[in-house]
Amino acid sequence: MTEVITDADAAGARAAAAGTDDEFRKALRSWLTDNHPGKRPKDPGERQVWQKAWLAKLYDAGFAGPSWPRAYGGMDLPFARQIIYQEEYASARVPGPLGTGLGIVGPTLITYGTDEQKRRFLPSMLRGDTVWAQGFSEPEAGSDLPALRATARRDGDEYVVNGQKVWNTSADIADILFTLVRTGSRESRARGITYLLIDAHAPGVTIRPLRDLTGGADFSEIFFEDVRVPVGNRIGEENDGWRLVRTSLGHERAAGTMNQAALYRRVLNELIALARSRGATADPLVRDRLADFEIRVRIMRYQGMRTIESILAKGEPGPGASTSRLFITAFEQDLHEFAVDLLGSYGTLGRTDVHSVERGRWVWGFLRTRASTIGTGTSEIQRNTIAEQVLGLPYDPAMPPR
Amino acid sequence: MGITLTDAQEELRDLVRGFLAEKAPSEAVRRWMDSDDGYDPDLWHQMARQLGLHGLVLPEQYGGAGYGLPELAVVLEEMGRRLLPAPFFATIALAAQTLLASGDDQACRRYLPGIAEGELTATVAVCDVNGSWELSDITATAQRDGDGDWRLSGTKMFVIDGETADVILVVARTGDGLGLFAVDGNSAGFTATRLDALDPTRRLARVDLQDCQAERVGPAGDAAPFLRKALDMATVALAAEQVGGAQACLDDAVAYAKVRVQFNRPIGSFQAIKHKCADMLLEIESAKAAVLYAASLTTEAADDAPAEEEFAICAALVSAYCSTAYTHAAKENIQIHGGIGFTWEHDAHLYLKRAKTSELLFGAPAAQRARIAELVGI
Repeated sequence: MTEVITDADAAGARAAAAGTDDEFRKALRSWLTDNHPGKRPKDPGERQVWQKAWLAKLYDAGFAGPSWPRAYGGMDLPFARQIIYQEEYASARVPGPLGTGLGIVGPTLITYGTDEQKRRFLPSMLRGDTVWAQGFSEPEAGSDLPALRATARRDGDEYVVNGQKVWNTSADIADILFTLVRTGSRESRARGITYLLIDAHAPGVTIRPLRDLTGGADFSEIFFEDVRVPVGNRIGEENDGWRLVRTSLGHERAAGTMNQAALYRRVLNELIALARSRGATADPLVRDRLADFEIRVRIMRYQGMRTIESILAKGEPGPGASTSRLFITAFEQDLHEFAVDLLGSYGTLGRTDVHSVERGRWVWGFLRTRASTIGTGTSEIQRNTIAEQVLGLPYDPAMPPR
Repeated sequence: MGITLTDAQEELRDLVRGFLAEKAPSEAVRRWMDSDDGYDPDLWHQMARQLGLHGLVLPEQYGGAGYGLPELAVVLEEMGRRLLPAPFFATIALAAQTLLASGDDQACRRYLPGIAEGELTATVAVCDVNGSWELSDITATAQRDGDGDWRLSGTKMFVIDGETADVILVVARTGDGLGLFAVDGNSAGFTATRLDALDPTRRLARVDLQDCQAERVGPAGDAAPFLRKALDMATVALAAEQVGGAQACLDDAVAYAKVRVQFNRPIGSFQAIKHKCADMLLEIESAKAAVLYAASLTTEAADDAPAEEEFAICAALVSAYCSTAYTHAAKENIQIHGGIGFTWEHDAHLYLKRAKTSELLFGAPAAQRARIAELVGI
């Protein structure tokens, strides 16, 4: 079990105790600079070791988990300092987390887990000692997630899990799968779903990387065959898993809002440089499109500022926060497709061709961003949600009751 | 940062919203738009005296309350929501801001107190017959006569509320670059003719100047820099008005989609309608963030060149974005209303007409994007 760092002398604890936000920023920045793990290894195996070593170092110094409670190794920063943390972390260009647990199952465990579960799972997740992957979607349950079919049958102190999951980011390197399974009847939908943590190395678990349209394999599919899971690995009560799915800690997700704006500011500058290098910036049509991207990348920042300011001043992100993801995903698709168009004939080349421009990054981005409007809720489902929850439009009577 | 409304700004918003909801319902708007003056002088004076809206953003030394563009944006958003027909935009957002930008203390002392009290209406005449909002395309001329007085000649088009304005600030070419000139609406050689505007809630005029006597406003030399700044201020103010209009379209569309039943269910329960409404909300929220940000740039003591350039970029940005968002919302509102939305009786067409014409004032979105490309160095 990963030890919880409670050392008040750890660099992170000292930084978090800084009197002013500015001092905090400086302390964090200098620690990130001084401890930067160097260049990212090319070999995937080496890269994972490199990334794990970094996450452990970050944790041991008390600089992990800005929004997490201290009892589980986090920093428990106020919202304003979470923003600073996200900004500094993003600009330091240090490795990010491994797996997808931190932002999804982490907050769920913190909010609904037992003390024993929190002690057992949270510090090791935060330190990167265990890698976590999500097991929610199924071949027959995508946007309609409550239709999921993978079953868990109670057998004494264990559940026996059978079924298939799909679109599981990082599952191929995962140690623990946080999974939604059906414990109620086939028709029970959201009322018969249980939240289980499944050992990815347990007998009966098969994880197969899934090649996506870019040719890469970020996703996997997971097969469960009579996998035995201790009841102690269940979060919350049986059949009460659905309610726990979208847990987040305060407004922690909004704290990183500005990072995406900063990222796309940089990407747009690179696109403008590309247009210039190809002699395209004299073309009024190209200028018009680039100016449109300029407008949108700036609005992304203003909207982020507004959300953050609203949380700080009023404790609520405001309606603008609900639409920002739609705004960003459409932007990144449009931008990459325009970049490919700008390449003209060279847009026909894949990533490995010696003639491909900038090692095919724009063509790859064009392909990769197809997923932007699908993953974590399609744009269509998001529009439904916004229409119903923000604008108060009526629920579709043809849909299954909620 | 200052891009969410403060409590005081929210109070102002609620005050103006409540006032206009009571005093300027649709029936009244339609009555005023068909009247001779195109607005209600009584309401005009109430807004100036009871609410103090005219002087709100004018400096205290000229009889105002000393607030700035963020507060003007709050007020205009509410006026845009109601399609209030009144020379408020022309007088406050355009003429008063132009006078202030000129730095001409004497002219400000002469006109602004009357504007603050609601006794004086004003506007700015920019475009010539060529219809261009580019300052470099202006051809109307100003020359000194034998007595040393300025005389204006030329034709100005699309002058907002030009027919009723007491004072018209005319942009004209001198031997020494552009100049700004104040003309009395009753001067000899001055004719204002009402144009048949697409938008019945905002009056436009053609102004003919025949050797018309005028007072120079602002320092000698080229007025283009301060005119550019004034037009940028007006553009941001107009964008705030556009946001209010777009929000009204969304509110109307959503309200209707909740109650209109077809196929035994409210049409708002269909995804085709939900998605339209969600997209409208996305654009309106984005537009709001942009306007709030642009307006906030003017509140800090920002006289340095980078801040001025940032404001110029933002003005073009909000114009391009809010224009498109408003027209989109107005069109979708008609579509969601179906046949009812195509009637004269329903207000949806008034919003469409306001949206389309606002889009084309001060430079259409494509022209604004061209300006952005230039300003950011693409």
